[in-house]
Amino acid sequence: MKKFLAFLLAMLMVLSLAACGDSGSGDSNKGSEGAEPASDPKAKDPNDDGVIRVWVGEESAEFYQKICDQYVADHPDFGYTIVVKGMDTGSVAGTISQDPQAAADIYTVAHDNIGKLASTMCAKPFTDQALIDQVLADNPDSFKTVIYSTYEGESYLYGVPYISQALFLYYNKDLVTEEQAKTFEGLKEAAAAANCKAITVTGDDGFNMSFALLARKVSDHSTTVKLFEGAEPVSGGSKGVSNCQGDDTIAIVRWLQDYAADPNGFKWASSDGWEADFRNKGVVSVIGGAWHYNSAKASVGEANLGIALIPTFKLTDAAVEGLSGVKAGDEFRGGTFADCKCFMINLNSVPSKYEEEQELVMYLSSKEVQNASYLEVMNVPAYLGAADFIKQCYEEGKVTESEYSLAAMQVGMAEWGIPQPFLTGTLNTYYYSKNGPAVFRAMIDKTAYPTTGDQILTETESLDGIRKGLYLIEYLWMHGVAPKEFPATLPTVA
Amino acid sequence: MNATTKKRVSSQSRNRRVSLGVTYTILIILGIIWLIPLAWIVLSAFRCEYNGDTFIGTVTSNFFPKAYGLKNFKDLFTATYYGVSNAFPRWLLNTLIVAVVDCLISTFLVLSVAYCMSKLKFKLRKPFMNISMIIGLFPGFMSMIAIYFLLKSIGLTGNPNHPGYSMIGLILAYSAGAGLGFQIAKGFFDVIPNALVESAKLDGCTNFKIFQQIILPLAKPIIIYQALMSFTGPWMDFIFAKVIIGAENSQYWTVSVGLYSLLFGTHPDTNLFTQFAAGCVIVAIPIVSLFMWLQRYYVEGVTAGAVKG
Amino acid sequence: MGSRSKTAPKSHRVSLLERLRKKFSDMGKRFADGSPGTKLSHFIFGAGNFYHGQYIKGLLFLLIQLGILALMIFCPSVNDTPYGWKSLANLSLKNVTEGKMDPFTGKVMVSPSDCKLMVLFGFVTIAMIFIYFLVWNLNIESSRKADMDLKIGKKPTSFREDLRELLDGKFHVLMLTPTCIAATVFTILPTIFMIALAFTTYNTQDMNDLGTKLFHWNGIQNFIAVFTGEGSLGVEIKNRFLPVLGWTFIWAIFATLTCYLGGIVLALLINKKGLKGKKLFRTVFIITIAVPQFISLLAVRNLLGEYGPFNAMLMNLGWTSQPIGFLGLNTGDSERLAKFMVILINMWVGVPYTMLMTSGILMNIPADLYEAGRVDGASTLKMFRKITMPYVVFVTTPYLISSFVGNISAFNTIFLLTGGGPTYVGYQAGGTDLLVTWLYKVTIDQGSYNTGAVIGIFTFLITATITLVTYRRSKAYNEEDTFQ
Repeated sequence: MKKFLAFLLAMLMVLSLAACGDSGSGDSNKGSEGAEPASDPKAKDPNDDGVIRVWVGEESAEFYQKICDQYVADHPDFGYTIVVKGMDTGSVAGTISQDPQAAADIYTVAHDNIGKLASTMCAKPFTDQALIDQVLADNPDSFKTVIYSTYEGESYLYGVPYISQALFLYYNKDLVTEEQAKTFEGLKEAAAAANCKAITVTGDDGFNMSFALLARKVSDHSTTVKLFEGAEPVSGGSKGVSNCQGDDTIAIVRWLQDYAADPNGFKWASSDGWEADFRNKGVVSVIGGAWHYNSAKASVGEANLGIALIPTFKLTDAAVEGLSGVKAGDEFRGGTFADCKCFMINLNSVPSKYEEEQELVMYLSSKEVQNASYLEVMNVPAYLGAADFIKQCYEEGKVTESEYSLAAMQVGMAEWGIPQPFLTGTLNTYYYSKNGPAVFRAMIDKTAYPTTGDQILTETESLDGIRKGLYLIEYLWMHGVAPKEFPATLPTVA
Repeated sequence: MNATTKKRVSSQSRNRRVSLGVTYTILIILGIIWLIPLAWIVLSAFRCEYNGDTFIGTVTSNFFPKAYGLKNFKDLFTATYYGVSNAFPRWLLNTLIVAVVDCLISTFLVLSVAYCMSKLKFKLRKPFMNISMIIGLFPGFMSMIAIYFLLKSIGLTGNPNHPGYSMIGLILAYSAGAGLGFQIAKGFFDVIPNALVESAKLDGCTNFKIFQQIILPLAKPIIIYQALMSFTGPWMDFIFAKVIIGAENSQYWTVSVGLYSLLFGTHPDTNLFTQFAAGCVIVAIPIVSLFMWLQRYYVEGVTAGAVKG
Repeated sequence: MGSRSKTAPKSHRVSLLERLRKKFSDMGKRFADGSPGTKLSHFIFGAGNFYHGQYIKGLLFLLIQLGILALMIFCPSVNDTPYGWKSLANLSLKNVTEGKMDPFTGKVMVSPSDCKLMVLFGFVTIAMIFIYFLVWNLNIESSRKADMDLKIGKKPTSFREDLRELLDGKFHVLMLTPTCIAATVFTILPTIFMIALAFTTYNTQDMNDLGTKLFHWNGIQNFIAVFTGEGSLGVEIKNRFLPVLGWTFIWAIFATLTCYLGGIVLALLINKKGLKGKKLFRTVFIITIAVPQFISLLAVRNLLGEYGPFNAMLMNLGWTSQPIGFLGLNTGDSERLAKFMVILINMWVGVPYTMLMTSGILMNIPADLYEAGRVDGASTLKMFRKITMPYVVFVTTPYLISSFVGNISAFNTIFLLTGGGPTYVGYQAGGTDLLVTWLYKVTIDQGSYNTGAVIGIFTFLITATITLVTYRRSKAYNEEDTFQ
């Protein structure tokens, strides 16, 4: 008993010591910030522990640790050690905003989180001119618009792209021929032969639904869908134009409704995960991204894994009935959001590290490192012209065929997609990804969707019902809430 | 006369035999049903199937594996999860540390509070009992975030320089409220006759002496019950621990957080169900054997709590 | 009876006022009559103890005073949110400024505020002030006691004697202090914080006002919203609250009763006279209690999943052509089936528990009761109904109630088995969601902390009402006073 008490006492001592230790350092933190407000940021900050912490996706943590160690070894005057940590990609943005002070100095998120993180004081803009020049020179125009966010009316660079992400098609070569994988109709035929469903998606969020909503006409790559097009990236500025009520979109919804109702058509991912669908031959193909590669490979085996562009489909007579902007037989290709993952700097990181952090990001986002990350961990580079490098690697035999087609198809799909738009905290696809997909799914499933103002979209089958649903989605994008009532006449866009 | 009794006895014994037979059948069928899901996890842990060259690690539709092996266990112990090499053994060790310390502190707190509530008279006794009952009825999820920041205030979590302190924080968070769950132990102490305490008092024993020399030796079953409960707690919690330790400190996670993340986290490779199953087997074995070993005390605790209320 | 209960509170209130007045006059007298040390104690903690030569005790009091005052004055901060007097000012949540920084140095000029921490730290500070006055009173009392001792010719107690007293007359102080401190900090304060959130606009869904950090008080708006359907989760709350509440009750009733009856029947079966291998059978059933639920329930979930072995078996037998969504994991699965299944699977987890508990009770039923029944020619079923059940129910009523309350907040079973499914497009609350799992989704997944707090408070009110009503009627409570 005495020993037990003694042990408890010792425990309490340790705890109180730990407590004292830290609250002391917390005080000094405060003091240093208040005492020398505008002094040289390079001055020795007592909180600067000489470590730069970096969070990257779990899959590439080892690679970036290696690269960073190499960088520190090559630059003896860098002055910091670098600790890289692999994080759960899906929840990292939430982890950061829960307690930004505890987050890493440099972290990586998908670009659609930039607005949220910047507006909630989790991100610091990049100001190093050389880095900004590199970003502007290397990246495609589509990315350049989405990595900026505004602060006090000025627009600043918040994210540096280093991985590109887009959807494409995985199919089971066992069940589908290369020719069949080119069209939704072909997939259905293959599915009928295998007595299963043709195609599934990896989730029912906004990103995955882009395959239908952003589908483009094959002949001229056109779509009437607009997401904050022409918006000014200034807080309180113009939200630009959003539209998803075009005749082509209506026709696509109708077509997908039929396709989903078909016993050999589209299905939502199983609760066991899309891998279960794919592996158990519940579907013959799945629309996914490069980050699903390992799972897809494990599901059907590398030899059976086919990779292709998202297929095309032809509008049916039923789909175009009553619509003037489209006609039966028009061919569309499934679309995608072409996103990028970005490096960002934590606003709460000690200011004296700022310069080195930018230096490090500049290196980690350079073409050489992006190329190396493709070769080692299959991260598809984000820079302009990465396709040439990928092709060259294949020709030189540095990557396998499926690894090559993985990157090639993703780069190929990028032509058919746009990046998820985000501008500021108040204007981003947050709304799109919270409510829009739910309405869209309800439409595809032909179920009801509830809205505010006691309006329930009870039918999603008739032309009017679909128009209302799409109006709802568009309104949600623009306002974040559902309209109080539907307008008497819904706009038609041919 | 003899004949009729004999007949009755024999028909009775036949009835009994039939009803025993029925009972056996029901129990055996129920027993099988009870064990099937657990057998499924164990079989999955030893599953070693391949599709061509690729290992199948997902949920499969065949209950009995086509091939058995220890690959899942081997992978589980050597794999790097969330950037932590040999993550699983580390998680196991973390959980063991948290569970042991939590068990010591919690048991001590529960016993001391229960003893006070049962055998001592003081002013705030009734209010204390009421408050502890009321507080226990609030759902805990909302307060997780508050506990995180309170712990952070004293440096015991969210501390990038000392990420390991978050384990102390977790222990504190687990054991802090333990004292409020004194009801079962109190019910047990209530049964110990007051006369025992009174006579010791007349002999000049201090309250501490009474607690230490009279009550504690009698309380062995309830001590073991409380210890068992607080020891197994950290092995089962998969939500609270992740918030307190932090998603970023994966090397300090407990094993249940880790296993849960294997199944539901986003991974480059989602082919981990069989490894998850192997982990479950490893976690379940010590806990189940502990339970079986201390079953008697568990039953005693449960009954004491249930009947006394 | 009625008139008495009407007048009772009034007289109570008067006496309370009276007591307060007396308290204050006593405090005045305490100051006036006290020795210089006692007088000084009113301002400097421990002064009286120093005066009486009780240095260690005095020092302890002084340290507490200095500690709390330092916290109040210097306002140490966590995540740029201060404790101390500043936190009291912050509690209004009014002078909240958006974080501003100089983007070129990246230096924060005005700290980004974090309202949730303002609320939390404000309450911690209030608790500190409360403790300050508690210790203030203790320190004066301690000095006064020394005065008294001197007056009657005793030496003031030494520190050693005080310690000894802690082991005897004040043993409860020693034993309860750790729990009181720990529970206040880690249980009571967080709970108050949670309740407070119900009166704020803390909702990360509203991105327009930097919802993750900045919010303000909005009175009982959130409670009104439950009925009007306003706010970002308004439709959900309005349309789903009653169904979820109803299902929570149905679930709690069925889960409790099925496990209870099932447990008793199982206990009877296992304890049947002449049955061999009792221990083995019991062990088999106990395993489900011992295995952590996240393992056992996830195993069942996978077993019954769309591609799990059970569906495969049914399809092989040709009983169904499509996999059956037993657990409502996919949108569009049957809600009724999912509800039935969770109650059924819950038996798998819960029945052994009752079985264990009632085994002992069953063996205590006097055998002559059964004997008498048998002589009267009662059937087994009748004896079960007329003898076993009344006896067991009588003894285990408290357990029935506590397990009913426990089932109302049975998070694990629902969260791990169905995840609340089948979901309805556009709603958080699915078909099998209980109030607690809904609360989890609304707060942890959606970040609508204010709405979550409202649901939490409703859950609390329900469980508290049931517990209090039954507890007050129970023998345990009523005999409590006579027991000691």
